[in-house]
Amino acid sequence: MNVEVGMRIGELTVSLTRADLVRYAGASTDFNPIHWSDRAAQALGLESVIAHGMLTMGAALRVVTDWAGDPAAVRRYAARFTKPVVVPDDDQGAQVRCVGTVTAVGDGVVTVSVEVTCGADKVLGAVTADVSIEGRE
Amino acid sequence: MPISEAHVGRTYEPTAPYEVSAAKIAEFAAALGDTNPAYAGDAPIAPPTFAAVIGAAAWDQLFADPELDLALHRVVHGDQTFVFHRPLKAGDRVVGVLGIDKVRCRGALEIVGVTVRVKTVDGDPVVDSSSTFVHTRSAS
Repeated sequence: MNVEVGMRIGELTVSLTRADLVRYAGASTDFNPIHWSDRAAQALGLESVIAHGMLTMGAALRVVTDWAGDPAAVRRYAARFTKPVVVPDDDQGAQVRCVGTVTAVGDGVVTVSVEVTCGADKVLGAVTADVSIEGRE
Repeated sequence: MPISEAHVGRTYEPTAPYEVSAAKIAEFAAALGDTNPAYAGDAPIAPPTFAAVIGAAAWDQLFADPELDLALHRVVHGDQTFVFHRPLKAGDRVVGVLGIDKVRCRGALEIVGVTVRVKTVDGDPVVDSSSTFVHTRSAS
């Protein structure tokens, strides 16, 4: 497989509604009320309910795993939660855009960076995944 | 006494053994909106961030520790790193061991770094999940 620094590996837009947050709360067992109660979110100075950082992070990784094919190839995955993804109580929810680019090619491992934005906000920072490419043609 | 740098190095007992099931993997993948075929079929692996499920059980110990006096509803997740030794898969029986890596207090803000080491019940490493939390201490 020919992989070069700067190569765009893929992009996707994830839409997150309040229903998606409730579903993720149940699946992950993270029941922090700031992800389902406006009252709790506002008590922390947030505009309203925000998405779980781990939901945004997990959904963004799909850019990498769709490209890699086998999710088991991911060896390391890191992100900073730079801005909250505010999820309005409507049918559209928040639109999170994810764009993946190769930033380093090492011995059998490729490092991918993912730009994750919601509107004009960069909601995740320093999003990097190390992916094993050993055995790939 | 709330949490302080004196708590760095504290570790907790392993979480109760958790058996990864195909049904939970399917539920988690659906919650991420991810239809990768590796998460379905007879021998599914879990999405990499599934480690959050075991992590959440370990985090509960942190929020239940009366000495730290941390409230989950006053916490925002600051950053997250996963280091994968191998994928979690259906049938795995795993535990999480949480340790406090760092504590910084800045006025009402407490920045707490923790790592949950997820291992099989036999002790084989599966994934290490490191998180930074920002806790806002209530003025009261």
